[in-house]
Amino acid sequence: MSGRRILLPILGLLAVLLAQAGAPVRAEGLVAALSADVVRIESNYTGTNIVVFGEITRDAGTVGRPDPYDIAVVVSGPESNITTRRKGRFLGIWVNRDAEVFADVPSFLAVHTTRPPHELSSRAILEEHRIGLNFLNLRIARASDVPISDRDNFRAAFLRLRLAGGLYSERHDVIDFLSNSLFRTSVPLPANIPVGDYKVTAYLLQGGTLLAETQMPLRVAKTGFEQYTYWFAHQYSAAYGLLAVLLAVFTGWLAGVIFRRD
Amino acid sequence: MQVYLPIAELPINMFMVFGMGGAVGFLSGLFGIGGGFLLTPLLIFSGIPPAISVATVTTQVVASSTSGVVAYWRRKMIDFKLAWMLLVGGVVGSAVGVWLFGILQTLGQLDLVISLSYVTFLSAIGGLMLFESLRAMARRRSGAKVTARRPGQHNWVHGLPLKMRFYRSRLYVSIIPIIGLGAIIGFLGTILGIGGGFMMVPALIYLLRVPTNIVIGTSLLQILVTMAAATVLHAMSTQSVDIVLAMLLMVGGVIGAQFGARMGQKLRGDQLRLLLALLVLGVGVRFAVNLLMQPDELYAVDPAPILEQAK
Repeated sequence: MSGRRILLPILGLLAVLLAQAGAPVRAEGLVAALSADVVRIESNYTGTNIVVFGEITRDAGTVGRPDPYDIAVVVSGPESNITTRRKGRFLGIWVNRDAEVFADVPSFLAVHTTRPPHELSSRAILEEHRIGLNFLNLRIARASDVPISDRDNFRAAFLRLRLAGGLYSERHDVIDFLSNSLFRTSVPLPANIPVGDYKVTAYLLQGGTLLAETQMPLRVAKTGFEQYTYWFAHQYSAAYGLLAVLLAVFTGWLAGVIFRRD
Repeated sequence: MQVYLPIAELPINMFMVFGMGGAVGFLSGLFGIGGGFLLTPLLIFSGIPPAISVATVTTQVVASSTSGVVAYWRRKMIDFKLAWMLLVGGVVGSAVGVWLFGILQTLGQLDLVISLSYVTFLSAIGGLMLFESLRAMARRRSGAKVTARRPGQHNWVHGLPLKMRFYRSRLYVSIIPIIGLGAIIGFLGTILGIGGGFMMVPALIYLLRVPTNIVIGTSLLQILVTMAAATVLHAMSTQSVDIVLAMLLMVGGVIGAQFGARMGQKLRGDQLRLLLALLVLGVGVRFAVNLLMQPDELYAVDPAPILEQAK
């Protein structure tokens, strides 16, 4: 395990350097790589980290600017419509009353930046690239009964619950610069991470301008027994149900035989 | 030790689940009940999504009732004809339950219906059991004799048409209340993730006048088949049966049940019923408190719809 831990960063770094060799000539560029393309969920999975490496490339055309470089790394999970509900009192008991459906929201979102997101650029750019949780545009999926004045409460609650559940996060002092141009950040992936195809995007900003960006795919998948069980349960659900019943009958029968008292 | 549940998609402490299965198994052995009404709430309160808790406990109930059925079968204490009639209703009730389960889930009201049903049924049945056991204890203390059932004794149920003869139970009754009873218990069992033995046994004794020695085995067989059907139907309609969770619960449950059964033989019947009544009432009250108290967090985010896993 520790051997793998050392090897992965080195491989990542190599990948960065190789990618750099083939990059087109631009004033400023950004190359990045991940410590792994696939996160495997196995029976002992309790969360992991994915390391993003990158390098800011400069050439003769680079104009010297006084502002420092800023980096933002955004890891976002598969998107779907997600419902947020609010309980209200009805006939003395607390029941789900109002609901708001947000369209195409990422199931997972981690934003790592060198400075608090609002200092990095304009609202338009930050919203376009989802840099920062406050810049996540939560669009309403369909006509909703929630009055406009109340909608911000739903948005705020959604973000609060996602943050509390560890599915959304925003950190702004976790990008390490190894040299002037080489950086690294480690994004924690929690135990309850949704499976699917993720996008990892690194952005290079300076003085409010987006200079370069690069995107890498990341797949989070169950493997082995977990993947097979899930696949079986969804693909052959009747057979899966029957198997569960047989297993239960066998366990019950076996217990009856082992602990037979008469 | 954490183990990842492939269907619930979250890791859980293996020993905690094993312990819950064992504790509920102990109580189920002690009282001669399936224990679903205790296990489902325990799973829900420990953070497993309600849909998965309910569907998975139906599987666990299959295992615990199988042990019982085998034991009663060996002693020939099952009325198969009666069980078959109960099942006709049970499977229909269970299918309706699974259908409604899916609808409530999309409406976001599944948790509410589960809580409300728990409050209603557990309070009602727990109250009746408490009353009955206290009366039995008072009777025993005063030395009065318990009047046994006389063969000719009838109530309104025996006036219904479509009568059928059940030789093993020495009964000649209408099949309407039998199928109806099976359907109601099958429906509730599927929605609530319980076997329903604690409702079925009193109903068979007091309503249909089935002899007490036949009741438990017959009710267990009915529960076994209805819950098996519910497991398959849940697996097909909502894919919410978690086989890893079920296995942990089953193993803990069957071991706990053995110790419970041994303990149960040392306690008197009315004492057992009093304890069970308090337990049933306690779970009902716990759900009632949840519904009546203002929650700390008013908002909730639905789990993301299950996406097809990339191949």
